[in-house]
Amino acid sequence: MMTTTEILEPLARMRDDEIVVTSMSTVRPWGRLSDHDLDFASADSAMGHTADLALGLALAQPGRRVVCLNGDGSMMMTLGTLATIVESGSKNIILFVIDNGTYEITGSQKVPGAGVVQWADLAAAAGFPRTYVFEDAAEYAAKIEEVLEGEGPVFVQVRVERGSARPISRSQIEESRYLKTSLASWSRCMRSTLMEEES
Amino acid sequence: MNARESADQASESPSVSTPVPQAALVVEALERLGVTHVVGLPDNGHAALYMLLETNPSIEVVSVTREGEAWAIASGLWVGGKNPALAIQNCGLLESGDGLRGTAMRMRVPLLCFISYRGFEKMVAYEVEPDFDWHPDTLTREELDSAALLLEPTLRAWGVPFYRYNSDDDAGRVAEAWEQAEREERPVALLMTRGLRAGEVAPKPR
Repeated sequence: MMTTTEILEPLARMRDDEIVVTSMSTVRPWGRLSDHDLDFASADSAMGHTADLALGLALAQPGRRVVCLNGDGSMMMTLGTLATIVESGSKNIILFVIDNGTYEITGSQKVPGAGVVQWADLAAAAGFPRTYVFEDAAEYAAKIEEVLEGEGPVFVQVRVERGSARPISRSQIEESRYLKTSLASWSRCMRSTLMEEES
Repeated sequence: MNARESADQASESPSVSTPVPQAALVVEALERLGVTHVVGLPDNGHAALYMLLETNPSIEVVSVTREGEAWAIASGLWVGGKNPALAIQNCGLLESGDGLRGTAMRMRVPLLCFISYRGFEKMVAYEVEPDFDWHPDTLTREELDSAALLLEPTLRAWGVPFYRYNSDDDAGRVAEAWEQAEREERPVALLMTRGLRAGEVAPKPR
């Protein structure tokens, strides 16, 4: 089993100009590691639709990698998205499922199928050409460059310890810049940034 | 304009003799507006639209497995700098409430959404008008479609402006709805009261 920090720190070190979409238990820890205009917190958003949002970004920005840090509970809500991603033809999305077996934010209740569902197998069956399963921090750190490079879509299941993240707000009391503003404001800023870089 | 006002401006019910609207006119309007993607789940009402888009060089189709995905994917496309639209059925809209609320509405994405009004013609035939307070006896009448009965009340409750699209005479509403969505930074719906047909206006070659 890994910790959330062991997932995010190697990713932050490798991060170049990728869009990084966080959700649930990764929102605050990523915000402590990164303060980038292309970070997007899927917080105060729709239940289970983080990977869908990331797919939209990936389709809009085919020349840029999009890393989506999804939770297992969120992914379970929209399993069809695995097929949608493959069907879309997107080659630039890297979809992580942070597999802690719980709905951590709401009090660590068990996710149906926790410990039974083999996420990477599901993704492979849906047509993901590259899938990974990590539960060892050293192995993960050694492979992260390979994960991020090359053609996708890529699916990464990471088995992590249960945490104790609390509900996330969008307000000035939050530490991270991307949580200090509304979802609408951040969306507009990010669209402007991406359109400026394209022009 | 609020949702109720927009509903009040909705078209009169189409008569039986009114020709079924052409999908090609919708595609032409989308091209003129610079729509880059249509996200959705094909249904009978939009079948002709999806057929034309398959060969359209300027508008990409993103097919989803459930309508809730569509709002989030379209919102991501918009943040990424594109100009998407949605095409779904009314029962799919009802399924997708939190996806709409938590992405397109919460993010204030200007988004044009075509919604097939399955069951509309039955409502017209039985002279039933949309109501906020349906009695269970009405919702279970076998000759009516509850997806139609609940569509407009749901959109009003969710604060989504909407307009009925009954015939080719309403083709201008595509641009009007798009402009409203852009101006008010919100989703705006066009309710396709009759299934679109493949029309005489040929799609542009690749």
